[in-house]
Amino acid sequence: MKKLLASGLMVLLLVPAAFSQELTADEIIQKVNDQFNTETSYGKSKMTIVTTSGQKRTFVQESWSKDRGEKNLVRYLEPRRVKDQAVLMLNHADDIWMFFPRTQRVRKLASHAKKQKMQGSDFSYEDMGSGDAFIDDFTSKRLEDEQKEGQDCYKLELIRKQESSSSYSRLIMWIIKENFLPVVIEYYDDNDPAYLLKTMVASDFRVIDGIPTSMKVVMFNQNDNTQTEMELLEVKYNITLTDDLFTERSLKK
Amino acid sequence: MKKSLQLLFLLFLVIGSLAAQEKVEIFGYFESQYMGTGVKNDYYQLFSNKLRLDLKSDLTEKITFAANFDYITYHGKKEWDILDFLSPDILAQVPPGMEPFYVLNFSNRTFLDNAYFRLSLKHFDLTVGKQQISLGTGYVWNPMDVFNIKELVDPTYEQPGHNAVRLDVPVGNAYTITALYSPDDTWKNSAKLIQLKGRISHFDYSLIAIEKVWRFHDYTQFDLEKMNFLELPEQRRLLGASTAGELFGMGVWAEFAYNWMDSTDDFYELVVGTDYTFDFQTYIMLEYYRNTLGKTDYEQYTLNDWMRVFAAEQKTISKDQVYIFVQHPVTDLINLGVQSIFSISDGSMALVPVMNYSFSENIDIMAYLNINLGKEGSVFSSNMGNGGMLRARIYF
Repeated sequence: MKKLLASGLMVLLLVPAAFSQELTADEIIQKVNDQFNTETSYGKSKMTIVTTSGQKRTFVQESWSKDRGEKNLVRYLEPRRVKDQAVLMLNHADDIWMFFPRTQRVRKLASHAKKQKMQGSDFSYEDMGSGDAFIDDFTSKRLEDEQKEGQDCYKLELIRKQESSSSYSRLIMWIIKENFLPVVIEYYDDNDPAYLLKTMVASDFRVIDGIPTSMKVVMFNQNDNTQTEMELLEVKYNITLTDDLFTERSLKK
Repeated sequence: MKKSLQLLFLLFLVIGSLAAQEKVEIFGYFESQYMGTGVKNDYYQLFSNKLRLDLKSDLTEKITFAANFDYITYHGKKEWDILDFLSPDILAQVPPGMEPFYVLNFSNRTFLDNAYFRLSLKHFDLTVGKQQISLGTGYVWNPMDVFNIKELVDPTYEQPGHNAVRLDVPVGNAYTITALYSPDDTWKNSAKLIQLKGRISHFDYSLIAIEKVWRFHDYTQFDLEKMNFLELPEQRRLLGASTAGELFGMGVWAEFAYNWMDSTDDFYELVVGTDYTFDFQTYIMLEYYRNTLGKTDYEQYTLNDWMRVFAAEQKTISKDQVYIFVQHPVTDLINLGVQSIFSISDGSMALVPVMNYSFSENIDIMAYLNINLGKEGSVFSSNMGNGGMLRARIYF
């Protein structure tokens, strides 16, 4: 009986693996995209920056997303210095507005602002943007499957499209076969495709509202020898969010 | 002074009581600032301490109350003689015997800066009370903003609150109509504003109409009744437009306002700007500003022009100027930059190296040097004094 169960389980595990052999790079990246871009989502996260000198800076923020990542709103809760500052991103972060509560001023930012470090962290606004960037900005190529961080992974190389404004010339991505979540992403220099700038490592994988989610992500900056940890404190998917939330009016609230 | 302290004590008592009931969110900052500048053969120093106490309460789901109370003390050189900074040609225009009146005083202040409530219903937001009014897309200069004048070397510093009733009506998700009334002693003297903001493709734009009394002074005549320089109030009517968006990957913005004046010459103001972030994180910004109220050369400047700029009645003294800002994050915690302001009209220039340092989670330190490189009589002449500023701000 035990043998039967074991072989049955083996078949179950092997079947997706066998199917996975058939998946092309485009299909894999599309699945990654689908995982990232749920219809709507809400998250509360803590971002901890560790600087070269070992100092720490912690930020807590809330974020809302709608229309599969097309609309995003981020509002800072902590520290006091940035409390109530908010960022609205529409059209997959092609349109960005920033709100400064003390002056009640809303400033429209051009897409080059995506290259800037988010609150001095190792994440740029581009890194935090919607998963569509993997499809819109890069062409993907499948490399030989590998084990990474103890997970069976697809390995893809994403090369920047000529018309793309991404600040990375290429990405190497390890994607967990079981849930299509990237476990490691390497980001390479804008001008030198051989020069590794940053490495993102995801962990603490859980299923929330039926959707696989990495609750913790660490970005290691090889260039500056710093790191930033992003930890999800709370997350909800496919909740009801109206379009009113993603307006300048809402940004000011 | 005693009255201010009593008021402060009373405020703390009320706030403490409200906070204990968890009805009001209390936050703010303490700011300590040092400013020094070399004038003639001396070096002037001004120290200030500012406590800003913010209160915010969501009284109901639809009503928000917010206020902030500022307490500022000044130390060091609290009286600055404006005449120390002016050229002999301008000094010759000072009426004999009036010299002692050309003084900027830094007196301790206690005031309610902003205090308003906001009613947010499905179809509109109504904000009543002293509130921030931010108009236009310009970074340093805002032709559409008749309520505030930004500090040239510190343009993002908060502006004072203005007493007003403001109605914002969203039309769809991309458009907003704003109507604002800022009362004065009579309806005629009160400021009225109507603005349409919208979005077309990747560009934001706004159209605005404002009527407001501009309270100029004649700094060559004295009003003995008011014991101040003679006020020359004049009705100002403004039509303006602004936009902000992106062209060829660069941020671009523009702002224009035409001003019809009741008795003096009409004038217009124009701002165009652009910015860009390089892949290596260096940020660069350039903004051009034209103000036809300004003069085309320093030989045309008058005592009134200078005084109106010092008193923040007028944005600039020269007609055409350019602001350039370059900044780079040298570490995760330190940004270094240089601001450069160039008066095209009189050929003078100021260089302002800036440093921003995140000292700890809730402590920011900002420092800049102010180096004026123009010839005598120009906007950025070395007569204006070369010096610097150091500011530490602790948020709570």
